[in-house]
This record gives sequence, structure tokens and C-alpha cells, in this order.
Amino acid sequence: MELKFIRIIAKQEWNSIFRSKIPLALYTVLLIVSLLAAFTGWQYVGKFNQQQAAAREEVHEHWMKQPERHPHRVAHYGYLVFREKSPLSFFDFGLDSYVGNSVFLEAHRQNTVNMSEAGFSNGMLRFGELSMAMVLQVLVPLFIIFIGFHTVSGLKQNGVLKILLCQKASYLEILLGKTIGLTAVTWVLFLPLQLIGLLVGTALLSDTVNSESFIRVGLIVLLYGLYFLIVTILVVAVSAMSRSAKTSLMVLVLLWILLFIVVPKSAQTLGNSIFEAPDKIAFEHAIEMDVSKEGDSHNPDDPHFSQLKSSTLKKYGVDSIQALPVNYGALVMQEGENISSRIFNNHYDKLIGIYKSQNSVSSYLSFTDPYLAIRNISMSLSGTDFDTFTEFQKQTEKYRFEKTKNLNEIHLTQIKYKNDGNQKVSAKNWQQQKEFSFQSLSLTDNLRNGMINLAALLIWVLAGFMVLNFISSKRKYQL
Amino acid sequence: MLEAKNLTKKYGSYTALNKLNLTIQEGEIFALLGQNGAGKTTTINLFLGFLEPTEGSATINGVSVAEYPQEIKKYLAYIPETVMIYPNLTGIENLQYFSSLAGFDYSKKELADLLSRAGLQSQAFEQRLSGYSKGMRQKVGIAIAIAKKAKVLLLDEPTSGLDPKASNEFSEILKKLAAQGTAILMATHDIFRAKEVATRIGIMKEGNLQSVINAGDISANELEALYLKTV
Repeated sequence: MELKFIRIIAKQEWNSIFRSKIPLALYTVLLIVSLLAAFTGWQYVGKFNQQQAAAREEVHEHWMKQPERHPHRVAHYGYLVFREKSPLSFFDFGLDSYVGNSVFLEAHRQNTVNMSEAGFSNGMLRFGELSMAMVLQVLVPLFIIFIGFHTVSGLKQNGVLKILLCQKASYLEILLGKTIGLTAVTWVLFLPLQLIGLLVGTALLSDTVNSESFIRVGLIVLLYGLYFLIVTILVVAVSAMSRSAKTSLMVLVLLWILLFIVVPKSAQTLGNSIFEAPDKIAFEHAIEMDVSKEGDSHNPDDPHFSQLKSSTLKKYGVDSIQALPVNYGALVMQEGENISSRIFNNHYDKLIGIYKSQNSVSSYLSFTDPYLAIRNISMSLSGTDFDTFTEFQKQTEKYRFEKTKNLNEIHLTQIKYKNDGNQKVSAKNWQQQKEFSFQSLSLTDNLRNGMINLAALLIWVLAGFMVLNFISSKRKYQL
Repeated sequence: MLEAKNLTKKYGSYTALNKLNLTIQEGEIFALLGQNGAGKTTTINLFLGFLEPTEGSATINGVSVAEYPQEIKKYLAYIPETVMIYPNLTGIENLQYFSSLAGFDYSKKELADLLSRAGLQSQAFEQRLSGYSKGMRQKVGIAIAIAKKAKVLLLDEPTSGLDPKASNEFSEILKKLAAQGTAILMATHDIFRAKEVATRIGIMKEGNLQSVINAGDISANELEALYLKTV
């Protein structure tokens, strides 16, 4: 194989695209749409985080301003915690608009995450939002199709391919040259724009820009570069297998419909039907059932709590709960909290397991559809994927449990059992409690979660070049 | 230079070319006449290596086309019915592109000289091909063949659609190339052009080479009568 010929063909492909007006007109449209998407995304995320910070401050202020109170009343006063949008969410909205960003934490109850954009919209979000990632994932492949559909089939149609093949360059060198030329055009037109957009957006939206931020941005750009290469290989392969430009265009448009609409929609439906998840009512009912089986703290005859009572009395060597050095009521509440939290976590882990299995269908299907691969990994690196959301839920439940436990501890040690309800403790007790701050998944976690999609992208690249090699070896694709 | 031995191409039960035996020497122009589907283009595609023979062999300069498709490229050039090469490139740029892919790096002056030898007017050299007539584009095709110093030239209906003057100019260039030792195989419908330019003429029908005539031994009218009788 002679690299010189590949370079000459790639250069010619490049020149021919830049000399034509239609690709540049198409690019101008995409550029405007991308900039618009980046700007509106950046503006929205910035505004959202600002509003959320103000709400967080207000909630905290209300919490701190509570007067002397009974600790259990404080536990029921509750606390609202928020999930700040990741700086890169302006680039890829992912699931952010469909999952909530805040949850009300209180004793005895595991509330669900609320306040999603979709929940506060007129439903039109269902048809998708315009993000920079969407432009790059869905519209740029259409751009590649329009600039490349005729790259080989057009030459076949007018006999030029035969003239080319009569020169010294082999068919494989021609196909590789075409692929490299088209890919270089796409990279030059879109990747610097993406890189600058991501760096500027991240710097403006993030309080701290560290090396991980740069690695994330670099990885996103690199993976999108690979994705454009895969799409280009597909376009060149279809063009090389078609006898006319019209046929290649029709096949590629059909392929676009299949890969960008049919397979992604089917993947979700398939996942949901293979791994059936309970609805919200069934999920909560199952938890209630398990809690009541384990022990009802409000039932004086409940065997679990009768056992707790006798073991506590034995531990402290007393014969009545009134004689205990600690508040038995707080002990019962904490035990109830332990039970409900453990059962909730078990059910929640199972539910998340089902959701993850549903999502795994989409991940495994990325071996048949590169769009699914880039969509999943892009969401993951942008911190807008399902794993980020479940991490938020886990952290909030952990925080809720610890907060309630602390308040029960105060109740246990500072409130006497007798005349329990009429006692109060100093506000300093809860003012010293740590504030909630969501810790996003690390880059390593994101990459681990997206391993299948990363593997799919790499396999697509390798398989793509193998397909080009196969096509070049068949005489029928030269005519 | 060009040799077909029992060269056969079948598509299932359909025989596109049946046991073709043909030799074309250096400096010879062989015109293949025949109706559509007679097997002319199949013959050319077999010599170009774009089709695999069902039986027999095609060789160029003693090298088997089927066995060494890349090797035979250095000997041959091809000109289709219409040379629809890159319309956004100028004549010079097109020639530079194709000759560089043949492994030749010509200077601009050398490229201009090659286009001149192919009969193209100098004022057209820097014009984009989108503004060229069909005749002018065919001349660029000839220039590409000259540039790669092809010993064998395969032409598929090269004068189809050309006006008489352009067609005549094209014939003159072919004669010059033949005089320099190029072996030329030309598939055509144009009986009078074949008579005017070719050394020998073969008439094909339904995949069979029915007759081969020395162009000097027959008049144009006799050739036409023979052609009509054969097909």
C-alpha cells in the first residue's frame, strides 16, 4: 500500500468539497444551529445553577433559623437537597431534563427526586431538545452523507472510477483516501468548534477547572472524532457498493433512519419489555409490605420491637423503659429508620438493577449502531447519564439516613423519655450538621460504566476498515 | 501486446462473451463493432481486469490480467464514452491528479505540453472542466493516457456524441499514438470512424466475434453491408 496515493486522493477529496458551494452552505446552517444550541444550553445551565444555588441558600437559611425544638420535629421539618447540573451538561443534556434535580429529605420517608424539566413543561420536550451533542450526533452524520454519498458511486456512474483504477493506485488506496479526505473535512469543520465550545462553556460554568475537566473535554472530542470516522467509513462503504449515486443516497438515508430512529427507539422498548420494572405504586407498596413484615414500631405487640425492648432492658440492667438512661422512644425510631432505610435500599438497588439491565440492551445494541455508542458515552462523560442520577439518589438517601440518625442521637441522649414531647434542645445541635453536596461520579467511574460503548466504538472502527478492505477485493464493486 | 485466448464470460446461463481469440499488436488499432449487448464492453472490462473470465485468459504484454490485475495497470489506459472527470478542477489539475496517481510527477509545463499533444487548446488548460465540451474532455482523457505512457489503450465508444470535427481530431490523435507503438482496442458503433481509424475491424454478435477484416481491404460501404448482414 502506498501512502502517497492515499494522501493524493484524500487531498483531492478535500479540495473538491471545499470548492463546492453546497457543502459549505450545509455547514453554515449546521454551524449556526450548533452555536445556537451551545449558547442556549450554556445560558440555561448557568441560569439553572444560579437559581438552584439561591434556593439552596434559602433552604439552608430556613434550616439554620429554626428555634429551639424537639429533635424529632426537626427531623420532620425536613431538608431540600439539590443536584447541580454538571458543567458539561450544557453540551449534552442527556437525561437531565427527564430526571429530577431535588429531593425533600425527612425522617421515615424516602421521597423520590422531583423537579424535572419534563415535569414542568407542556410535554413538547418529548420530541427532543436541541443540544450541541444532538447536532453532532444526529445532524453531522447527515452532513457526511450529503457530502459523501456520491464519493465512489458518482465516479462509477460516469466511468471515472475505471480511469482511476487504471492508474497505479489500488481500489483500497482509493477507498482509504476518500475516507481520510472526508473525515479530515468533518474533523476540521466540527472538532475545533466542539473543543472551543466545550472549553469555554466548562470554564464559564464551573467553579474549578482542573485537569479532569480537560481530560473529559479531550476524551469527548476524541470520541466524537472516532464517531465521525465511523460514519464516514459507512458512507464510503455504501457508496462503493452502489452502482449509482442515487442508489447510494437512498440506501444511506434509509440507513440513517434505521440507525438514528428505529434502532434507538426499539432498544428502549426492547429493554423495557425484556426487563420489566415495577411502577411507582407497586415499588412503594412492596417496601411497605416488607417494612410491616420486619417490624412495626407503632405496634406495641410487634415481636421485633418487643425483642428490642427486652434486649435493651437487659443491656442496661433495668426493668422498665422509664428507668433507662437513654430515651427509649428515640431508640425505637432509629430502629424503625434502620429497618425502613435498609429495606428501601434493597428495593432501590433491585430497581436500579432492572433499569441498568434495560439500559444494557441499548449498550449492547451499540455494537450494531454507533449512534447508541456515542450517545451513551457522551452522556456519561457529560455527567447527564442514568448512573449520575442514581448516584444522586444514593447519596441523598445516605445523607437523609445520617441526618435522621444524628437527630435521633440527640433525641436519645438529650430528651428524657418522660414528658418527651414537651422538651426542646438548642438549635446549635442541627446547625452544626454538614450540608449536602452532590459528588459527581469520577471520570474513572464514567469510563467504567461506558466500557461497552467504548469497546463498540473501537470495534466499529476496526470493522469499518475491514469492510473497506473486503469491498476493495471484490471486482463487482469496481463496476 | 494484447491477447485473448478462448476468453469467455458467462452470467449464469447467459453468455456475454464466447471463446474470444484475438491478438492486437503494438501500433495496431483494433475496432470492435457490434450492437448493444454484443460483448464489446465485456471484452474491454475483461482486459481491464474488472471482470473475472469464466474461461480462457486475457493477457497484456504477456501478463495475465486475472492473475496480476495490479501489474497490468502500468501498461494500460482507459477512456470511457464520456470522460466525466472532476468538473471543479481545471484541465491541468485533472491531468496532474491522474498522472500523480499513475506515479508521475510532472511540472506544470510538462502537463501543458501533454494537453497540447492531446489536441487541447492552450486557453482551456486553466479552465474548469465544467465548462468543457465533450470533445475537450475526451482530449483530457487522451492526455491522461499519454501522461502515463500507456502501451495499451482501451476505448469504449470514445467518439459517441462527438461532432464530426471533434471526432476527426480524436481519430488523428489515435493514429499518432498507434504510430508511436500503442496498441489500441476500441469498441464502437461508428462504422465509418472504425473504417477510417482502425487497422483491423472485428464484428461481434451475441458474444461471438463473427468476423475480422483488415480495414485496408474493404470500403466503408462494403463494411457497412457486412456489418448489417452480420448483426
